[in-house]
Amino acid sequence: MNPGDLERVVSAHLRRLPAPRAPHTLLPRVLAAVRQWRERPWYTRAWFSWPIEWQVASSLLLGVVVTGLVWLLGSGEASELVMWRASTVVVPGIANLGERLSLATTAARVAWHTVEPLVVYACAAVMLMCAACAVFGAALGRVMFERAVQR
Amino acid sequence: MSDAPEFEAFVRKYQDMVFATAVRLLGNPSEAEDVAQTVFLRAFQRFDRVGASPAAAGWLKTVTRNACLNHLSRYRARWQFFSELDAPIREAPPASSVAQDELRERLEAALRALPDHQRIPLVLFHFEDLSYAAIAATLGVSVGKVKTDIHRGRDALRRWLDRYTAPYESR
Repeated sequence: MNPGDLERVVSAHLRRLPAPRAPHTLLPRVLAAVRQWRERPWYTRAWFSWPIEWQVASSLLLGVVVTGLVWLLGSGEASELVMWRASTVVVPGIANLGERLSLATTAARVAWHTVEPLVVYACAAVMLMCAACAVFGAALGRVMFERAVQR
Repeated sequence: MSDAPEFEAFVRKYQDMVFATAVRLLGNPSEAEDVAQTVFLRAFQRFDRVGASPAAAGWLKTVTRNACLNHLSRYRARWQFFSELDAPIREAPPASSVAQDELRERLEAALRALPDHQRIPLVLFHFEDLSYAAIAATLGVSVGKVKTDIHRGRDALRRWLDRYTAPYESR
């Protein structure tokens, strides 16, 4: 049977298949999952959906931490230097950092997808090579030791 | 839950479609149910946009397809790698002298019994109406490999059909 005929025959049979029905347990499961998701604790949600008092408290805390860090870095000239560095180096750096981070993440994701299927085998190969090195080292040591003894 | 009745109606309307897509891609009803639950939870999180949208069915199909492929790559890692080895078809249930309905059930079972690398492109082609190029792009493999895998899957199903439909059709 040529590929065209095979496609037609199989397609005709598959098209006649009725769509599988969802099990009766699916709807209750979905509703339970939705209920659980809605009732999850506030601190596991996005910051924007936190209660207003916690948003204010967390903002204040962040402000205190930042101020403390600046104060700890020193007063006077040191603080001015930090502020100057922040405005001239850190702020433009952060803008570039986002772009670089995005590029690096994409590259890392692509690289990981490429090597992911081979990781187990690579680990196995490394372990085998380690074992081979150990055996070789032991054999070499034994030969050298025997020669030393013979002398 | 203020929009619970609407959401429940939404799930009732689309649950068969989502489950059918998932179970054919995954070949396993219990995993398909897990994926369907995840898909509907995601739909609930965007229900204000998805709920009344005319594109809801398409959105659900796309999300289900992607969720299934993610599930396969996460929990059945290296299927792509192993697909180079021609895994034999698992034993499909025998179907001699069966009624048409039962025959269809068993063909469905035979389809689910195909190895992942044959079943997934076959389902994407025949049920999701994706082209060879789109399937290749979705799975991250070459078009040639997709064609070969689909051909092998079809051939396995044809052999199954030849074995079991001949006695039925000759009657």
